[in-house]
Amino acid sequence: MPEWPRRINEEMRQHLDDEYAALRARGVSHDHAMRTLAGDVEAAASLRPRPVDSLTADVRYALRGLGQRPGFTAVVMLTLALGIGATTAVFTVVDAVMLRPYSYADMDRIVALAETTRAGQTMSIAWQNFQDWRAQSGVFDALGLYRPMVVNLTGGAQPERLVASLASADVFRALGIPPIAGRAFSRDEDGVAAARVALVSERFWRSHFNASADAVGASLTLNGEPYTIVGVLPEGMRFPSRLTDVWLPLGLFVPTFPADRGAHPGLFAIAKVKAGISIEHATAEMDTIARRLEQQYPLSNNEHTVAVVPYYEQIVQNIRPALLMLMGAVAFVLLIGCANLANLMLAKAEGRQRELAIREALGATRWRLFQQLLTESVLMALGGGLLGVLVAWWGVKAFVASGPSTVPRLDLVAVDLRVLTFALLVSLGTGIAFGLAPALRASAVELAAAMRDAAGSRATAERLRSLLVVGEVALAIVLLTGAGLALRSFAALTAIDLGFDPSRVVTLRVALPNARYPELPRWIAFHRELAARAAAIPGVEAAGLNSAVPLESGGAESEVRYEGQPLPKSVHEDATMCLFQAVTPEYFRLLGLTLLDGRLLDTRDEQVGSPPVIVVDQAWSRRFFPKGTAVGQRLHEGGCNTCPWVTVVGVVSGVKYSGLDAPDEGTVYQTVAARGPGATEQITSRARYLILRTRADAAVVLPAVQQVLREMDPALPLSEVVTQTVRSTGWS
Amino acid sequence: MQHMTAAPGLDRELKKGSAELLILSLVEDQPRHGYDLSKLIETRSGGRLTFRVASLYPLLYRLEKRGWIQGRWIEKAGQRRRRYYRLTTAGAKVLEAQRHTWREFVDAISRITGVEHA
Repeated sequence: MPEWPRRINEEMRQHLDDEYAALRARGVSHDHAMRTLAGDVEAAASLRPRPVDSLTADVRYALRGLGQRPGFTAVVMLTLALGIGATTAVFTVVDAVMLRPYSYADMDRIVALAETTRAGQTMSIAWQNFQDWRAQSGVFDALGLYRPMVVNLTGGAQPERLVASLASADVFRALGIPPIAGRAFSRDEDGVAAARVALVSERFWRSHFNASADAVGASLTLNGEPYTIVGVLPEGMRFPSRLTDVWLPLGLFVPTFPADRGAHPGLFAIAKVKAGISIEHATAEMDTIARRLEQQYPLSNNEHTVAVVPYYEQIVQNIRPALLMLMGAVAFVLLIGCANLANLMLAKAEGRQRELAIREALGATRWRLFQQLLTESVLMALGGGLLGVLVAWWGVKAFVASGPSTVPRLDLVAVDLRVLTFALLVSLGTGIAFGLAPALRASAVELAAAMRDAAGSRATAERLRSLLVVGEVALAIVLLTGAGLALRSFAALTAIDLGFDPSRVVTLRVALPNARYPELPRWIAFHRELAARAAAIPGVEAAGLNSAVPLESGGAESEVRYEGQPLPKSVHEDATMCLFQAVTPEYFRLLGLTLLDGRLLDTRDEQVGSPPVIVVDQAWSRRFFPKGTAVGQRLHEGGCNTCPWVTVVGVVSGVKYSGLDAPDEGTVYQTVAARGPGATEQITSRARYLILRTRADAAVVLPAVQQVLREMDPALPLSEVVTQTVRSTGWS
Repeated sequence: MQHMTAAPGLDRELKKGSAELLILSLVEDQPRHGYDLSKLIETRSGGRLTFRVASLYPLLYRLEKRGWIQGRWIEKAGQRRRRYYRLTTAGAKVLEAQRHTWREFVDAISRITGVEHA
C-alpha cells in the first residue's frame, strides 16, 4: 500500500511538468500555463490517500498477515481473551456494586445511623433514644426510622411470605424517592393513631395487580390484618433491601416497642444531612446528643454514641476490599499477559526486520510502519477482547447464579453496554500496551543494519526482552503470593467442623402470625403437633424444631449471669452475652450431637410448671466453667435478678450457628415451650424451623410436609426450604 | 468513476467502459508512458476526449494491479525515469473481448438508429 501514492505522484508530477513544458514551447506565458494546469494540480493533490484509506489498508494488510500466522495469532488472542475476560468480569461486578449511580436523590448526603458503644459495638436503636435524637438534632433534612420484617400475605390463591419493612415518613424523604402512584407515608402515620395503610413495590404491583391503577385503595391481608394500599414505590426503591415488597407505617408498631430505654428492638435510622453540612459535623452533633443522653440515662446509655455512616459506604464497605483485591489480581494477570505478548511480538518482529526494511526502501515512512505494526497488535487485542467478552459473560452468569449473599445489587450484575465499552477500551489499551514497544523498535529499523542483521540491534532487543521477563516474574510473584494466601484461608474455612452431619438435613421455616396465634399454649401446641406429624411421614428419620438454623447466625442473643458471677460495671459487658436456641428434645439426636455430661432435654422439661433447665454446649461450659463442670450450675437470663434460677442439666458438643468463620462463644439450649414468643413479638422472632433428617430425597418428603401444614393451617405459607448440604457448601 | 472529460453528448456509461479499452488499445503495439497515452487520446479523438491527470494514473495503477498491463521504470540518458506500460497476455485477452463487445454494441445501436459507421 505505501508505494502506490508515491509512484502515482511521481508519474503525475512528470505529466504536469511535460504539459507545462509543452505549453511554454507553444509560447504560452508562465502565468497562463500555471492557470491552465491549476485544475489538474488541484485534482492530483486531492489524490493523496486519506487517513481512513490508510487505516483500511493497514487493517486489511494486518488481517492478511495474521492469517498467515494462525498459530501465533491464536496463542495471542487466547491469552488476551483470558486476561480481558477476567478483567471484564470483575469490572462487571465492581460497576454494578460500586460505580453505577443509585436512584436515591443526593446519595452523598444520605447517612445510616445506629447506636454503638464507644468501643465500636453496633446495635439497633432504642425507640426512646431515637425520639430524643429527632427532637434535638438540627443537621438533618429528614431522619427516618425503619425495621425490616417479614409478613404473611393471605387472601390470594396461595399464602405468601413477603419481605417487608416498617418505616417512618422520613425514610422516604431521606431517600428522596417519590411513589409512582398514590402517596408515601405522612408524618401523622408515625403516630400510634396511624391507619392500617401500606406501600408496595413496583414489582409487587405488577405481579399482584397487573400494574393496575386500582391497586391504590385495594386491601391486603398481612399477618391476618387488613391493610389499605396507599402508594406504589418505583423499582429504584431498594430500601432496606432490594427484596422489600411492602412498607408499613411505623406508628402502628410503636405500642410493641419496649418501654425500656435499654432495649434495642431492631430499629435503625436513615437520614439526609442538610445541604452544606458535612458528615463530620453531623457525627459531632449526634455525639453531643449521645453524651447528653448518657448523663441523663446512665444505666441504659452508658458509653453509648451514634454511628453516622454514609449510606453508600454502608452498602459497599464489606465488599469493597475483596472487589478491589480481585480487580488488582486480574489486572496483574492482564499485565503479565501483555508482557508475555510484547516479548512474543519482539521475537516475531526481529524475524520481520528484512520485510520491514524492504518496505521502507520501497517508500514506506517509519510512521507508516509503526502504524502498521500497531494496527496488527490492536487488531489481535480486539479479537481477544471479543472472546474475552464471551468469557466474561459466562463468568458473570456463573457468579450471579451462585448467588453470593454478601454482594449488594447482585441482580444488577450483568454484561451490558457499559461493560462492553470497558472491554473495548481495555482491548484497545492492551493492544497498544503490548504492541507499542515492539512497534517502536521494529519501525526504527536501520536499513543497512537490518539487511545485515547487525549484532547491535539484537543486543538492544535482548535487553528489552530481559526487562519484560523481569517485570513479568515480579508480577507473577505478587499474584501467586496473593492467590496462595486466599487459598490458605479457603482451605482453613473448608476444614472447619460444622459440629453435625449436614447430609440429608432439610430445614423449613414456619412463621405463625400473632393475629391468629396470640396465646402461647396454642402456639406451642401447633409446633408440637407439627414436629410429631412430620416425624411420622414416611422417609423422615427424625423431626425437630429450633429457633434457628446452623450457620445462619440465627437464635436469640441474651444476657446470662451465673450464680456467684460478679455484678457488671457497665450494662454492656460483652462476656455475659450468649446465644439461646429453642429446641424440641428430638433436636439433639436429629443433628447427631454428642452428650458430654449430664442429660439431654426431654419431654419432662416441656411440661408447664416443670423446673426451668437448659443444656449448654462445650464452648459455653469452657467459657464460664473452664475448671469444673457446668452441670448443676444455675443462672439468670436477660439480666433479671429476680427471675427463678435456670439450671444447667447437660453439656453437648458444639454446632456452628453463626457461620463457618465466626468464633464459638457458646450456645444455650432450652425447650421450645420454655422460649415461646410474647404476644406482641414480630413474626420474624416468632418463626421456628422444622428440621428433618430424611432417609429419602428431600423432594419426595417435602410435598408430604406441605400437606401436613396445609391440613393444620391452610393460610400458612411454607418458605425457606433448604437442605443443609447446600447451605454448608454454598457459603462462599 | 468518471475517467475522462469529453465533448457533450457522450454518455457517462459509455466513457466508463471505453476508457479501459482506449488505454489497452494504445499499449497494444508498443509500451507507452502516461503522458504519451494522454496526448495520443487527445490528438486522435480530435480533442473530443481528454484524460484528467487525477483519473489517468490511478486507472493505469488499477489496470496494472489487475494484471492487464505491466509497468516498468525506464531511464533514458538526460531524461527523468518514466514508467512505460505494455500489454500483458491477460490484457490482450481482455482487449480482444472488449473490442468484440464494443463492436457488437455499436452495431446494435446503428441498426436501431440507422446511423452508419463514421
